[in-house]
Amino acid sequence: MRKTNAIAVITILAAAMFSYAQNIQLPMKKDSVKFAVIGDNGTGDKPEYQIADKLTAAHQKFPFDFVVMMGDNLYGGEAPKDFGQKFEKPYKALLDIGVKFHATLGNHDDPSRQISYEKFNMGGKHYYSFKPKDGVRFFSLDSNYMDKKQLDWLENELKASGSEWKLVYFHHPIYSSGEKHGSNLELRTTLEPLFVKYGVDVVLTGHEHFYERIKPQKGINYFIVGSSGQLREGNIGKTELTAKGFDRDNAFMLAEISGDDMFFQVISRKGETVDSGNIKRAEKIKKITTSR
Amino acid sequence: MFFQCVMLAVMFIGAPHLTGVGPAKGGDTDPAIKDFNDRVQRYWDLHKKVEDAAPPIDKKKEPDPAAIVAHERATADGIRAARMNAAEGDIFTPAVQKILVATIKQELSSGRGATARAMILGEGNPKNPESPARVDLVVNAKYPPNAPLSTVPPSVLLSLPKLPQGLEYRFVGRHLILYDSKANLIVDILRNAVR
Repeated sequence: MRKTNAIAVITILAAAMFSYAQNIQLPMKKDSVKFAVIGDNGTGDKPEYQIADKLTAAHQKFPFDFVVMMGDNLYGGEAPKDFGQKFEKPYKALLDIGVKFHATLGNHDDPSRQISYEKFNMGGKHYYSFKPKDGVRFFSLDSNYMDKKQLDWLENELKASGSEWKLVYFHHPIYSSGEKHGSNLELRTTLEPLFVKYGVDVVLTGHEHFYERIKPQKGINYFIVGSSGQLREGNIGKTELTAKGFDRDNAFMLAEISGDDMFFQVISRKGETVDSGNIKRAEKIKKITTSR
Repeated sequence: MFFQCVMLAVMFIGAPHLTGVGPAKGGDTDPAIKDFNDRVQRYWDLHKKVEDAAPPIDKKKEPDPAAIVAHERATADGIRAARMNAAEGDIFTPAVQKILVATIKQELSSGRGATARAMILGEGNPKNPESPARVDLVVNAKYPPNAPLSTVPPSVLLSLPKLPQGLEYRFVGRHLILYDSKANLIVDILRNAVR
């Protein structure tokens, strides 16, 4: 019992120290939508646990309500013990206080097991949408299997979502400077026309094991957050696409939507802020209106 | 008892309901495609009967991953028992194989064919050297949960006959498989589909 208490005290102190080290630069406005982004995290190895600790520490200063996962949620085996080792244990502190995780499927994920796993909040579906608050909607896609049914569903959902913030997330990036994979042109040809037509604001992906913010493409902001467990050091090639890249360490993202602003901050395993900024939705609408 | 129920269910499967199947790009008048759709639907009707008889996942309680795995295994075992004599080509008949191979070839020869080919044979393909597990291409075999699933290019998917949700086309190397994603089972194999 004494040992358990001591561990709890050490954990709280460690979290407090991390929290002190992490300088949160987000506005933390009242009634904003606060969330975190992790991707390619499910290794069960030390870096995943270290990022999870940083995420937990960040939550003390920036109490996000949910985390979106960019896929490759569980690498290797997917036996019941793997769900514990690669997900429930590293994120236990967040799960215990009710932070929700919303997963999307990566190419290393077993759909049959993950879509029914309640802690991934996929509702038994390969693709789904959710609305954390009026005016903001997230769409999770299965980019491994983009069939007609899914495309029809996406178009209907986007059409029905009206003037809300529209954030789409899936595993394979359609814009990327990665030397290993690069932009997925097949998916871009299929998805981008829908994103443009229905005014998608932000696209979040993983697959590349680094962080990259892409210069806005056709008015849409693209982020790759694929290094929250895995890391492919030095893999960002020189392209015209990169607004900011970070491939030297693992990272995760915090974000906040308030009115027509989305603020974001990307934090490394060492607690350094490697990127931050603000996307203005109103500008995008104006730009689209002007170009028409 | 479970398998007896399954066998009974198989005997009582009625006429196929053709919702969710059919070719994406016309061609539904082709007898080979129509026959393929019928075979797919018969398989899916069987799947549903077997899955309904398997131990349910309690939706009211937070499901333990062990319950999810148990449900998946019971479904797979039931389907295997019901399709004990299933063989390659039972669904991918020789007639439809010709059509599917030609369709895939046409898509992979198009303007974005090189990208689509790379997508099929790339990292997610379990024959890729980086894959942590090998997939044994055997009808009724379990697809190893630690093996990646190939990403299927949208251009190819949109040109192949549609499948019910839960039944998927996937690639293992150059071979196309019909994959039951809810039972984690290889249902049929079309060898050398990518040429």
